[in-house]
Amino acid sequence: MHSGIEVVLKAEQLGSVFGFPITNSLIMAWIVMALLIGFAYFFGRSLSLVPGRLQAGVEWAFEGSLVYMTEVLESKALAQRFFPLVASIFLFIAVINEVEFFPGVGSLGLVHSSEFLPFLRASTTDLNFTLALALIAFFTIEVTGITMLGISTYARKYVNLKSPIGFAVGLIELVSNLGRLISFSFRLFGNIFAGEVLIMVASYFVPYILPAPLMGFEMFIGLVQALVFAMLTLFFIKLAIAEPEGAH
Amino acid sequence: MQQLLAAFGVDWQLLVAQAVNFGIVLVALWHFLYKPVLAMLTKRQRVVAKGVEDAEEAGRMLAGADTEVSKRVAAADEQADAIVSAARESANMEKVRLLKEAEARAAAVTKDAEVRASEIAARTRRESEQEVARLAILAAEKIIRTKV
Repeated sequence: MHSGIEVVLKAEQLGSVFGFPITNSLIMAWIVMALLIGFAYFFGRSLSLVPGRLQAGVEWAFEGSLVYMTEVLESKALAQRFFPLVASIFLFIAVINEVEFFPGVGSLGLVHSSEFLPFLRASTTDLNFTLALALIAFFTIEVTGITMLGISTYARKYVNLKSPIGFAVGLIELVSNLGRLISFSFRLFGNIFAGEVLIMVASYFVPYILPAPLMGFEMFIGLVQALVFAMLTLFFIKLAIAEPEGAH
Repeated sequence: MQQLLAAFGVDWQLLVAQAVNFGIVLVALWHFLYKPVLAMLTKRQRVVAKGVEDAEEAGRMLAGADTEVSKRVAAADEQADAIVSAARESANMEKVRLLKEAEARAAAVTKDAEVRASEIAARTRRESEQEVARLAILAAEKIIRTKV
């Protein structure tokens, strides 16, 4: 029914409830939430001291990431404190990125005034979602730095009046910190969105065979991007709690 | 900036909604997944540590039992030796006693025999003296008879 490639930069609004816009990426987020929470609920209840294969796998992943986080943060207590945040970022993004490739996502929809509106759209290809996650990560990082170091010590990272060079470095630091918001949100958005566009283009020109390996590759990219987002959050937390002098 | 955000469909309502979504995921996974799994990991760690400890304890107890056994065997050996030597000693003593008794009895028998022999000899002598006297009288009678 459509000819040509149609690239839509923003999530399509399907309707609104009490003036609140409902977009297809929001519905996708809800579906993935239901999947994740449902899995967590049933998995958490079926835990046993002698693990099955699934439980052994999950425990292996948890232990591995905890060990890695302990290494990065150089503290077991901190690793345990931030593990839920980092793991949730990874799981939420990863599952959205993988569910994106299920049949029906982006292809099922309705036509509204000669415009095709898919019911579902990967939330990671909606800047609202990536920006929301970036804001959460950003505030977590800054608040952690302030609470761990104290406001005055933390502020010394950005406002350094000891020397002109120190002052300039502090300013650069401040700007790069704020820039994280942009880099966090646009990295994830850009990667996944570009992957979708790539598959769309490939499907348009070579509808058979070629999209399949591309999809496999994009699924891999989806995992990598989830990992990147989670790891960067972890590293920035580490940087935030480092003392001003010894850091960087 | 406004245009840029509009181009990407950024809407503060959706932004808040997605942030809340993530918050719900975080809290739910924390409650249903991370807490139980991590608790299970610590629990298993405790169980494994206890198992290793128990095994070590059992090994120590086994080693203790071994030394206990050898100690008891040694004690029993010693005791058996003592019993045997005591028995041997008492047997020896019995032997000596029996020997002494036998000797004493033999001596008594010998003495008795000697006494009886000397008694017999004395009686024999007395009897033979009487016989000789009688014979002598008889002989004398015969002689007298012939001469008369």
